[in-house]
Amino acid sequence: MQNAELMVGAFYNPHLGRELAVATGIDHLAMADPPAANDPWWPAVSGRYTLLLHDYLGQLSEPLDERSIQRARALAELYRSPWVAEHFQCLHSEDGRYNLNYVFPPLYTEAFLDRFVRNACALKARLDQPLVMENIPGFFDVKASQMPEPTWLHRFFEATGTGFLLDLPHIWLQAHYHDMAAERWLVEFPLEHVVELHVAGVEHDDDLAGPWIAPVEPSDEMLAFAAYAVSRCPRAKAVTFDAFSPSLTAEVLFRSVERIRGAL
Amino acid sequence: MPSDRALQDDVIRALADAPYRATLEWRHQGLADPDRVERYARFLARHFYYERIVHFFKYSRALARVTGRAPQAIVKSPAFDALLPTLVLGSRETAGAVARVVTAHVAAGGAPVAYLADLLRYEEAMMVVEAGPRVWRDSDDEGDAGSPKGVPAGPGERYSPETVEGTVLLDLAYDLPAVLPKLLQPWTDVPQAPQRPTTLLVARSPHGRVAVARSDESVAAVIELADGKRTLEELAQGVGLQPAELRETLQGLVDLGAVRFSTGS
Repeated sequence: MQNAELMVGAFYNPHLGRELAVATGIDHLAMADPPAANDPWWPAVSGRYTLLLHDYLGQLSEPLDERSIQRARALAELYRSPWVAEHFQCLHSEDGRYNLNYVFPPLYTEAFLDRFVRNACALKARLDQPLVMENIPGFFDVKASQMPEPTWLHRFFEATGTGFLLDLPHIWLQAHYHDMAAERWLVEFPLEHVVELHVAGVEHDDDLAGPWIAPVEPSDEMLAFAAYAVSRCPRAKAVTFDAFSPSLTAEVLFRSVERIRGAL
Repeated sequence: MPSDRALQDDVIRALADAPYRATLEWRHQGLADPDRVERYARFLARHFYYERIVHFFKYSRALARVTGRAPQAIVKSPAFDALLPTLVLGSRETAGAVARVVTAHVAAGGAPVAYLADLLRYEEAMMVVEAGPRVWRDSDDEGDAGSPKGVPAGPGERYSPETVEGTVLLDLAYDLPAVLPKLLQPWTDVPQAPQRPTTLLVARSPHGRVAVARSDESVAAVIELADGKRTLEELAQGVGLQPAELRETLQGLVDLGAVRFSTGS
């Protein structure tokens, strides 16, 4: 079933700026980094596309400081972003000594729920756009968690009224590493809050001895999963090909967006 | 009983700090499947340093079609694998160890780029300076008496300038700033760098932003003598600058992140 109002897009990869400046068939670009001062394609790109703020604003296990909030507001205004995205991430230690530099989930506990609810509400109050939050894949479970991820997310969205950025490969991977059917795992999540979906390819990783997200085309299986997910998300407004890497080629980007659009 | 936040930090540390991950202190907690933790830690380590190599060795990447050596290729090399049990993501020691693997790999290409050795030293310095703990959230207390953001005014103040740990002065044989932008533009013949002595100051802000500036003898002297004990007057005498000139120089260095002010002793 195709939602005629659904935007289909990708991430802005600056090394593909020349191609993206003149591309067709892409409705929006998600911005993972601010535009570089010397990016010659930025004027054309910013004039051509709906832009979605998808930068690292902070980790909501702690309150965002004023500098980070002002940065988020400035970027949202620069992009004229219809919503602002952040992740359910806790990737650096409180003292700043250790940083994973990669999205990593919090413990799914009452204490962390309280933290994220409080800090998300505080951020939401300072933004002029809706806030949407993206789910994070976990390669392993931590025994200190008190509830399943879907339960924690249900309670978060009910408490905050924020939107859900549903990352489908993250769902797919969690299902894979827990020997569950992806569709069965998916329906546990609060799909009624989904505003945007991410779709991406996965590839074998030698360290993980299994699949992980990679800047490659989504498989037919992943596209079918995406179509199923969209049909279960009544408020979804956009689907984004989630690939942001210097190794991403224009061919992969454009073909992926085309195939996503065709699958929905 | 540790708080949830402390437990999360322990998991983060285990993923980031390979020596800690191997300790009984971590293993006896039994917080997660050790095989899964080890695998994910290795995945994170390759990702962490791949991103940094791509960023800090971008000029060597641009020269890869001449050198035949892509800097980022080392993250899948035996040399990087050998470092895995020692890695502490983001530490200066690990940044230096990884950067040395990169520079050895690129230099071994033997390409006829006259300034390649200087370039690799520059890129290595950038990557190492960036490393270390950083401020993720500004303090709510803007009146932190220990480290004012600007040069304190007036004589007799109690603050003494101190070079920030990790600040680096690079003495180069080639004027790299003249060639670096050209390397990132389309080129057919390898862009050349003027051969003239050049000193660069590489520093990092508390938030982890790296800055580079051309340096001269005065700046180098300030960096060497600013030990957190010498007062502004003593420093001015030591570097041979008038106090007003020193203040201007110090403000520039504070803005770069190279110098801060301490209460001295």
